[in-house]
Amino acid sequence: MIVTRRNPVTRLVHALRWAAFIVIAFILNLPILATIMTSFKTTGDINTSPPVWIFTPTLSNYEEVLFAGNTNLPEYIFNSIAIAGGGTILAMLLTFPAAYAMVRYDIGKSWLLPLVTNVRALPLIIYAIPIYLMFQMVGLLDTRTGMALIACVINIPVALVLFVGFLQEIPEEMDAAAKIDGAGKWGILWHIILPLSRPILFAVLVLSFVYSWNEFLFGLILTTKNAVPVTVGATFFVTSYGVKWGATAAAMTLGIVPPMILGLFAYPYIGKSMLAGALKG
Amino acid sequence: MLKSKVLAAAGAAILSAAISTTALADITILAWPGGPAETALRKVVDKYNETSDSKAELLYFSRDNFFDKMLADSAAGSTEFDVMLTATYNVGKYAPFMVPVNDLITDDVMTVFPQSAIDSQAYEGNVYGIPTDLSLQFLYYRTDLIDELLSNDEWKAKYGEISEEYLGTKMEPKMPDAWSWDDFIASALFFTQSINPDSPVRYGTVLQMKNLLFNIMIWQGTTASYGGNWMDADGNITVDSDAYRKGLDIFKKITELEATPGDSNSYEYAEANGAFGTGQVAFFIQWSAAYAEFVNAEDYPAIADKFDITHQPAGSEGPKTHFHALGLGINKASEKQDEAKAFLSFLASEDVMSMYAKEGGQPPVVDTIIQAVASDRPDMLAMGDHTGKYGIVMNGSTAAEALGVYSNMAENFTAYWNGALDQDTAIANVEAYMKEAYGK
Amino acid sequence: MARSKAGVHETERANARTFLIGLCIFLALMLGFPTVANLWYSFSNVSIYDLTGTAFVGLANYAEAVTNPNLWDALGFSLKFAVICTVLEVALGLAMVFILHPILTKRPWLTGLLMLPMMVSPALMGVMYRLILNEFTGVVPAYLYMMGLPINLLGRNWIYETVIAIEVLQWTPFAFLIMLTARQSMAGELEEAAAVDGATGAKFGRLIVMPVIMPSIIIVSFIRFIDSFRVFDHIFVLTGGGPGNETTSISIYIYKLFFTHSKIGEAVAVSVMLLIASMALLYSALRLAVRRAPT
Repeated sequence: MIVTRRNPVTRLVHALRWAAFIVIAFILNLPILATIMTSFKTTGDINTSPPVWIFTPTLSNYEEVLFAGNTNLPEYIFNSIAIAGGGTILAMLLTFPAAYAMVRYDIGKSWLLPLVTNVRALPLIIYAIPIYLMFQMVGLLDTRTGMALIACVINIPVALVLFVGFLQEIPEEMDAAAKIDGAGKWGILWHIILPLSRPILFAVLVLSFVYSWNEFLFGLILTTKNAVPVTVGATFFVTSYGVKWGATAAAMTLGIVPPMILGLFAYPYIGKSMLAGALKG
Repeated sequence: MLKSKVLAAAGAAILSAAISTTALADITILAWPGGPAETALRKVVDKYNETSDSKAELLYFSRDNFFDKMLADSAAGSTEFDVMLTATYNVGKYAPFMVPVNDLITDDVMTVFPQSAIDSQAYEGNVYGIPTDLSLQFLYYRTDLIDELLSNDEWKAKYGEISEEYLGTKMEPKMPDAWSWDDFIASALFFTQSINPDSPVRYGTVLQMKNLLFNIMIWQGTTASYGGNWMDADGNITVDSDAYRKGLDIFKKITELEATPGDSNSYEYAEANGAFGTGQVAFFIQWSAAYAEFVNAEDYPAIADKFDITHQPAGSEGPKTHFHALGLGINKASEKQDEAKAFLSFLASEDVMSMYAKEGGQPPVVDTIIQAVASDRPDMLAMGDHTGKYGIVMNGSTAAEALGVYSNMAENFTAYWNGALDQDTAIANVEAYMKEAYGK
Repeated sequence: MARSKAGVHETERANARTFLIGLCIFLALMLGFPTVANLWYSFSNVSIYDLTGTAFVGLANYAEAVTNPNLWDALGFSLKFAVICTVLEVALGLAMVFILHPILTKRPWLTGLLMLPMMVSPALMGVMYRLILNEFTGVVPAYLYMMGLPINLLGRNWIYETVIAIEVLQWTPFAFLIMLTARQSMAGELEEAAAVDGATGAKFGRLIVMPVIMPSIIIVSFIRFIDSFRVFDHIFVLTGGGPGNETTSISIYIYKLFFTHSKIGEAVAVSVMLLIASMALLYSALRLAVRRAPT
């Protein structure tokens, strides 16, 4: 880890790494950059071929999506935050103990794990109608709670697989020591395992949030006005009179902000907690 | 604490129940999203809300997946909306989820709409909607380019050469309103830079060939102009015909000679508008709705004052165009049938329809109303005129199966145009699908 | 780190079931009724006009499902798509871990920049790609044009590569993130010890790093395979499954059966068969992923 960087070869390698980073970051983010640029263009500038790089930026697209009144983007963003946040936390609460039990006590690993993972492998569209009917019956249609429950279902498989994968790397001696100290099962989970699992917790938090944030199909089918998530709300600018590219781009750009903030703030903790070196070694 | 909350909630419930018995309930209207039609409908609804006790609220979904969402809602008996969208091409599919509105079609209403407009909302003898918007296609063309072509002798000579080389006969350029499909193809080739490097635009035309049902409606004018139809009067499927082959060949030829952009297989309305609107294409066939967009010089600086519209090119049966009307009808599951009806009868009046037309809607109304608003809406004159003269509705295309048929055609015909299937297989697949769908 | 079942007392195992209760109840509540309903749908004459499906039709829906030749095309597309995408994503992600790990360790926030592509809904990104890749208004074709490569990325010759590239661009960061987490879980001492032992460069990577990352590679491959297999959003928006059916994935196929052609019974029958097949596959795959040889 602590390598001396004075030697020219190491310095060159280091410089190449930076060059690689810049190229990779640019290529990966090119679609987003193009989207952000589009969001500041007028319709006239968008309808120019070849596309212009230099243009007078306009805020009119943001005005349209935020204040035009026909759609309510701030509310859609709030809905998405509530849905993704609720669905993520619930999924983590449900799967973390389950993953622990699977790894430590070897229960459910042979049947529950494949069963749960299967939920993800299925094209969930076939569940649309039955869940629609079920939600209609219990009054969850077009509610944030209902959508959060769906988000949770979508997140459970990946959360579970990632937790199981991580937890089995934690040495069993850690629990054993705690057990000798008289800690109960939930106590061990809470005091020993949970702190050790911080990196994967943050990783699952970010990933699950992102997955729920991006969910489209159920958002489309199960909401109409009260719980419309931003992914669906942004497509309201895809109209029968063509796509309002500028407005769609602006809505998308605003829609990236919450998960981006979460990613930027949560991610460093994953790395930091690792560096503490509490794990393994 | 809890008790007082419960009491408060109960009180509120009783109060709201009491209020709702005295006033008419508010209704929600699910309408087709976007453009001047949406703006116009909002104004109509505002006006309604000024005068009525029952307030109306508009609800829009995105155009993509609109019908899927509406289908899920309808099938499950949703009460999220009371008034819902109807369309000529799926009135049969949604009829079981709707209430007929025959009693709303009074003599007064018949002075507002021509019979054909009412028929566009009817299925098996019942009317399900009040028509609000007519949709058909125009040939949009660049006046500057066509003028030049008709006056520049060098261009004319080149046009003759190109038509001779690619179509086998030496042709003369014509005005677009006199075009046959051969003129359409020859002009498309002439304005394509890979064929004619002197062309000021990159492509002659732009076709929309994404695997999408609406694109088949645009294409349908070709086969119809040769007398093509989904089925004959006896209900026999007639897609395996010369007319269909001719129509398919037109798109195939233009695609193979690359007179349309290379990614046309992913094009729909927006992309085609982009190609024409950026000034890179000489002419194309597009929905009537695009007119209102192109006249806006701020949005389309490249072409706003240099284009005109006419009818589609002619086949052996003259020019034809697909047309359909959108409308508004009543959701069967709605608990506010009377209020929904009240809104529809308000909508079907001459005053409201004139207002709707002036504000940017495209109602299929009688000539007298069109004439009255013609100064504001030149495109409406053409729409009324074209529908009457060239409009066709394919036999069987209002039935419950129609959307599936359009999708199947989209799947197979786009495959043919893009070289994934041969013509015989594509037609055979569609014919088989239609036979099964219509139980033949 | 031996993990013998005998070592875990039976009563303890029984008690440990409490850890699973929450998850089981939740799944039963959320998916129990829909699953039963779907099973019934697959054996009944359900239609959009009759969502209860009043008559039992035996295996008719299944027969119709397997005799539709488009099913096998869609299945083939999805499998091929999933394999190609998974391999590319894991390979690129792994390369990124090796190249970028040293500079990201000190500046973790930079990782956030690489995460951005995941944060856009594929459905919306698909809409924007319609603009970005458009021959006239798109920035990417404009670049290619300038470089003398007039390629239509959405044209029929390139559409397959394009939908794969879009998937890979969006989800390589996922593979990268998971593998990077594993890489960073290697404590500093291990690296120092290895350095002292003279394990550097390629040897260090192969002998020390790879074994640590391997479990996460398996898990990432597994998750990405599943997710790419049921790809829907961006392809549906960009191509509608076309031209023809060339880019129709199994999810698009089922979606169209369901909504466009209103063949609910057949759509569900396809899914049930898919469920059974993937259950069998998953069962064996998970044994591989979860029970590696004890270290």
